[in-house]
Amino acid sequence: MGNIEALINKLARDTATVKLAPHPYTLSLQWMGWATAYLAVSLMFSGVRPDLLSKLHEPLFAAELAALIGIFVATSLSASLLSFPDMHQLRRVAFAPLITFVLFVAVMFFAWQTDNPSAPLPVHSFRCTMGITLVSLLPAAWIFYVMRKFASTHYHLAGCCALLFSFSIGAIWLRLYEVNNSIIHVIEWHYLPMIAFAMVGMWLGKIMLRW
Amino acid sequence: MTDKTDNLAALMRQSLNGDKRAYAEILRETSRFLRPFLANRLSFTNEVDDLLQEILLSIHKARHTYDGNRPYKPWVYAIAKFRLQDYLRAHYADQMHHADDLSGLEDYLHENVTESAISYESISGEVEKLSQKQATILQLMHQEGYTAKEVAEKLGMNESAVKVAAHRAYKILRQKLEK
Repeated sequence: MGNIEALINKLARDTATVKLAPHPYTLSLQWMGWATAYLAVSLMFSGVRPDLLSKLHEPLFAAELAALIGIFVATSLSASLLSFPDMHQLRRVAFAPLITFVLFVAVMFFAWQTDNPSAPLPVHSFRCTMGITLVSLLPAAWIFYVMRKFASTHYHLAGCCALLFSFSIGAIWLRLYEVNNSIIHVIEWHYLPMIAFAMVGMWLGKIMLRW
Repeated sequence: MTDKTDNLAALMRQSLNGDKRAYAEILRETSRFLRPFLANRLSFTNEVDDLLQEILLSIHKARHTYDGNRPYKPWVYAIAKFRLQDYLRAHYADQMHHADDLSGLEDYLHENVTESAISYESISGEVEKLSQKQATILQLMHQEGYTAKEVAEKLGMNESAVKVAAHRAYKILRQKLEK
């Protein structure tokens, strides 16, 4: 009991005006802003696929891109909320990626079903995964660095969302850059690795976001 | 109830602006309502005190994530539950570790004492070199046949402390016997 009182007095003595963390929505908007700028710069260097405009008129490609953007927005929102101990008391919003992820899986499943006859598989395979990983590394490092400044009590989920957010940037970049119509290839070498990295994020969250 | 909640949020807002008195007050109030929460989930008073100190430090560290515009208690309880889970996880992992060690040692002692004819008497010289508490515990358990629970009652200790002391003593004896 005496120890508690001594600790309280010490903490009170040491306190000063505190710079508050931004609201999670503001934080999320900042992250998305920076990520969009990064994506634009990456596309400036790599260039966009020459058939992009016509592809955007294809409903399934547009739906796939929209679902990816949905994951990007939802994970950014969720990661920012999960950075706060109480999820800013917006628990439902924090689980928004679940909905967008189900939508994304549904779109991919539908695209796979309608891919008949299948588009030819590209010659390369893991090069795409490497490309996505390389593009995603910087945002991943940056988002973990920022999240460490807060106090997550759900570090597994927070890490998962952080990596899903970063890898969705890489996946969007590759879909806008690479001329590739094979949905099987895209699932196998773009999206399954993205999900695998999200799983790695759970482990990474435990290491990086402990406080 | 709402008034009290509002008071806590208001106190925390003042604290975030650097008011030391308000900060001490909110920490005191927090420890007041967290103590029964922890006491219901932990067995020993010293555990409650240790964890409460850890939670207060965590609140201090994370206070920039509370803006004073939402209820204070859910924020505090989120931190408290997080630290409690961490504590329990570490505690049970430690218990499992001890349980593993003890079962290994039981096998070892069984093998050596009964089959290799190493009796308590034959190692009593080594036992006497242990600390007095460890020597007494081993004597009661292995010479006089008391259980750990009975030893605990006799010495005014708790059962797990007796097991831990015995485990440490076994470890020392094993090292000496292996030499």
